[in-house]
Amino acid sequence: MKKMLSLLLVSILLLSACSGSKSKDASTSSGKDTKEITVWAWDPNFNIKALNLAKDAYKSENPDLNVKVVENAQADIVQKLNTSLSSGTTKGLPNAVLIEDYRAQSFLQAYPDMFYEMTDKIKADDFAAYKIPPTSLDGKNYGVPFDTGVTGLYIRTDYLEKAGLKVSDVQDMDWNKYIEVGKKIKKATGKVMLTQDPKDLGLIRMMIQSSGSWYLKEDGKTPDLAGNEALKEAFKTYKAILDADLVKPASDWSQFVGGFNSGDVATVPTGNWITPSVKAEASQSGKWAVVSMPRQSDNPKSVNASNLGGSSWYVLNIPGKEKAADFLAKTFGSNVDFYQTLNKEIGAIGTYKPAAEGGAYKASDDFFGGQKVVSDFASWTEKIPQVNYGLHTYAIEDILAVEMQNYLKGKNLDKALEDAQAQAEAQIK
Amino acid sequence: MTGIKKVSAYGLLAVASIISIFPFFWMVISSTNKSSDVTQGKLLPGAELMNNLTKLLDTIDLVPALLNSAKISILTTILAMLIASLAGYGFEIYRSKSKDILFNILLLSMMIPFAALMVPLFRMFGSISQVLPAIGIDTTAAVILPTVTTAFLIFFFRQNTKMFPREILEAGRIDGLSELGIFFRIYIPTMKTTYAAAAIITFMASWNSYLWPLVVLQTPEKMTIPLLISNLGSSYSPDFGVIMTAIVIATLPSALLFFLMQKHFVAGMMGSVK
Repeated sequence: MKKMLSLLLVSILLLSACSGSKSKDASTSSGKDTKEITVWAWDPNFNIKALNLAKDAYKSENPDLNVKVVENAQADIVQKLNTSLSSGTTKGLPNAVLIEDYRAQSFLQAYPDMFYEMTDKIKADDFAAYKIPPTSLDGKNYGVPFDTGVTGLYIRTDYLEKAGLKVSDVQDMDWNKYIEVGKKIKKATGKVMLTQDPKDLGLIRMMIQSSGSWYLKEDGKTPDLAGNEALKEAFKTYKAILDADLVKPASDWSQFVGGFNSGDVATVPTGNWITPSVKAEASQSGKWAVVSMPRQSDNPKSVNASNLGGSSWYVLNIPGKEKAADFLAKTFGSNVDFYQTLNKEIGAIGTYKPAAEGGAYKASDDFFGGQKVVSDFASWTEKIPQVNYGLHTYAIEDILAVEMQNYLKGKNLDKALEDAQAQAEAQIK
Repeated sequence: MTGIKKVSAYGLLAVASIISIFPFFWMVISSTNKSSDVTQGKLLPGAELMNNLTKLLDTIDLVPALLNSAKISILTTILAMLIASLAGYGFEIYRSKSKDILFNILLLSMMIPFAALMVPLFRMFGSISQVLPAIGIDTTAAVILPTVTTAFLIFFFRQNTKMFPREILEAGRIDGLSELGIFFRIYIPTMKTTYAAAAIITFMASWNSYLWPLVVLQTPEKMTIPLLISNLGSSYSPDFGVIMTAIVIATLPSALLFFLMQKHFVAGMMGSVK
């Protein structure tokens, strides 16, 4: 027994001695070996393709660098990053990663040392202004802004005609007018205006950002629910749309897509990234147009432009960071031609302002009756009001979704928002 | 009276089976339809199966992922059977007060959810990577080791060992078998049904395992099938037909295993209740 014990002790000693020398080796070797960088992103048809195009574009700059593109689902990336970063283990982390703008601050604020500053690598002024607050912390830029979630109102022109309306009638509307148009279309065609998933308040988010307002105050931390005029109006509009019976309920993404693919709804108010899904139903070619997003009726600050989703690239502060930063800066950060390729190949619309001057952005699209859709989206992008998404977008939305149901069932609106405020304050500190 | 009772019992069972079978039916039907038909709730088989399959093989490396999953699941199952049954056997046959206390502590560990263990576990494997990269982060071994035995499996084997006749054990000892010899030559062959049930449970859990492989595997070539399916669904415009085809393929191995070993499985589960 004693023999066993001493043997065990010796082996433990040996092991720990090994670990000391090995770890030194590891750190020196990874310092030299940066011919390869790894980038994580989601969506094979969009972000992954964009990365592969960036890889091709970067070949002329630095043919020696091997960019390894790894595909992970968005929720999976969040999970993996959180586990790695909170355990303090950098092994296996990528050199660069795509993070959704709504979530970016929670990573930047929780692990500020783990991200590599990009202030000197890109010109922040070249990007749409609304992309800068989510990608920065304490005045320093960490992200390279990528796609815009600029919103538009996709609308069926054939249904409009049946209701005796023209596309020009529905440009730059407010939400009251939207409801009126909805009633006319429903009377003429029997079709409803949109699908809504009661768990997903994307519509509310779009409405309040068009007025430069958000769930949180400008510090990105204090909940701004009770007494938030834009939010209050958004709730009222939401109820009015439901009361006018213009909504087809949907419980998930597939039913949302099914709603417009089947022709059941006349409009889709959402981000430009839905374009491929709309075009997937080729039989509806020529029957769609995209007009500017409706603005809030009672709010003079509200504009006909908003945002839903969108993400940006971040470099992690691990060996290889300079290479990764250079890769991003010379592609997504400054290459106008690259943005034209991106748009032609995958329909992506970036937030890099000089790219809007390129040829691809001015092309017309027959599916949308010859409309220059990309150019329209690009011009709306520049009008999107800037807000600080802060840390808790989805946590607050869960609270609001419940209060929304209470409000729809007859609870007083001010009371509902006050309750949401109290709950949010208690939950996030 | 009995007639009415029978009808209502069968009616209830029929409703219950429709509810549990419908998702399966929907999955198979949807794999033969194109995405826009799936989103519009088409319930009839279509002609898109080959199309979906071709697209699936184009977008993801299905076969390597299946092989990865198979390797991990089979190794996990074999190791878990050996270790957990030996432990369960030991706890029951060589009983003592101190071992019972140890066993209770083991059972308590079942109450801690995996999510709480994940960060420390990841840290641990991060440190192991420094010493032994072969079993550290981003290796098959790192996926297998934490699940190689579970408190539940040990409990399961211990409960079933209660039925193992002591007389055989004594007979083995008298005939001069060593203690390990008894385990390998007598216990394992007698407890076949228990092993079958435990193997199915372990294989399925390992085959469908998602969170830990997700966190610990980094290289795309090492990823398992649930991780690739998750990637397919994470797109602004997911192709639901292709996703359903992938899920059908991923479900087949565990379904086949279950049907092949169904008889033993049921017997094994009944054993643990007795």
